[in-house]
Amino acid sequence: MNTTPNIDQLLEGVLISLGTDVLPYVSNPKAAATVQMMQSILQGVRQVLPVVDQRLAEEHNAMLHVIAEITALLGGCDEVAAERIRERAAMIGAEPELPIPLPREVVADAHRAVGNALTATMIDLDELQRAGVAAADDGLAVLRAHVGPRVVRDTHTILVGNALLGRG
Amino acid sequence: MRDALVDWLGDAFPEADAIDVVGFEPIPGGYSRETYRFDAVVRCAGGEQVHPLILRKDPPAAVSILQTSRHVEHDLLESLRAATSIPVSRSLGHESDPARFGECAMVIERMGGNAQTSDLFHDGPDVDQADDVMRHLCEILVELHTTDIGAIDPRGALADPRGVGIDVTTWVRYIDSTVEYYIDSFPTIDYDPTLMVVLDLFLTLRRTPPRPLPLAVVHGDFNPANFLYADGRVTALFDWENARIGDPREDLGWMTTMDILSNSNVMDHPRDEGGFLAYYNRLTGFEVTQAEIDYFTLFGTANIAVPVNAAIKRRIDGESTEFTHLYLTQSSMGTMPNLLRLLGYPGVTA
Repeated sequence: MNTTPNIDQLLEGVLISLGTDVLPYVSNPKAAATVQMMQSILQGVRQVLPVVDQRLAEEHNAMLHVIAEITALLGGCDEVAAERIRERAAMIGAEPELPIPLPREVVADAHRAVGNALTATMIDLDELQRAGVAAADDGLAVLRAHVGPRVVRDTHTILVGNALLGRG
Repeated sequence: MRDALVDWLGDAFPEADAIDVVGFEPIPGGYSRETYRFDAVVRCAGGEQVHPLILRKDPPAAVSILQTSRHVEHDLLESLRAATSIPVSRSLGHESDPARFGECAMVIERMGGNAQTSDLFHDGPDVDQADDVMRHLCEILVELHTTDIGAIDPRGALADPRGVGIDVTTWVRYIDSTVEYYIDSFPTIDYDPTLMVVLDLFLTLRRTPPRPLPLAVVHGDFNPANFLYADGRVTALFDWENARIGDPREDLGWMTTMDILSNSNVMDHPRDEGGFLAYYNRLTGFEVTQAEIDYFTLFGTANIAVPVNAAIKRRIDGESTEFTHLYLTQSSMGTMPNLLRLLGYPGVTA
């Protein structure tokens, strides 16, 4: 996946463009309000994205603790409802805790660093290829075998239509 | 803008007693220049004439993808009109003083014909004209590629229009200096490690040059959207801003790329001649092979990849807020599968 532009940069770009390229030319008040609502939703998405993965995992684990704590508090109760709570705790509450994902930017930075190392390796391989080192051809083939499927997968994931809108 | 245009047209039509500009409106489409259509109503002693015209204006430098010269484009159009039968717009002139229109600009004649070239393909209403139109388009390209460079570019403005050190004294020097330009440009486009694929493209071009052919003036953006047609003939070939001296196979390669991306079938026509390449070869005797087309498809991709990805990088680095440059990340991605296939990446089909 591309680490740059990241999702936040793309959303920010859309937000800016809605404000500068679209909104000034919208004369219908309802349409203008709709554009502003779109901006608000997009800004909300920008604010959620950096925290959503960690928070989901953290909240999942915290809820397991809540179930366990409630079950412990009702340990001496023999009512039917209390039994249902104990059964629920035995089922869902027994699920293992989820690992907390790293912040996306940490992963992106690490991904970018290795990607840059591969780019530098490609330059060195080219120098070796031009010097007639056959193993460098094989090295480039290994690199291409890794990168090619990745790029094709990204293209299928991201592309909308032929991406030539506005070109005429 | 309208007042500036009327004022400018006064120089272009010195005989006019009065000039009016009517129907001034932007033409949608195109990532590089801002274009506007209008009619100039010119009144003089002999009566009134209506001139259908187009204003082509540079965008602000920060958002410009391709830094090209309206002066050079003006000279090229007029040279083509004088030295060839290639249908191009007459250029009324260029304005290099940005004070007049905000940026450098030129005014050209608005040609007639259908711009919806998709009408020629698949189930389009003009599919019956496709063979004749593409036959003519091929003949136009051949004329461009076989006309003496000096007749089209007497001042040498097309030798290195980007001013990046291209050497057109021989074919080998042209290829070498152009590929070096691509490679040297990599730091200006390297906004993400996935751009290593583009670097691979540049390096592969350097390692695998094909046989030489005579250099020629090439259109530089020869694609299914850059011509008009009517009654089985091309009425205009336009958007010459990326024209330069180059290898004629560059135009064939770029058309092949854009044919795929545009879902058009230019290269399949004229069918009775075995397609565009076969007809081109019959007219020129160049015997261009598919492998050479593939090389120059990559070469042309590199040529546009440099300014496009540089614009994306400038946008990401915050040098502009131009939204189109962000959208170009998708456009750029759309070229990737074919690029990888031509580079021989394992397991990649177009």
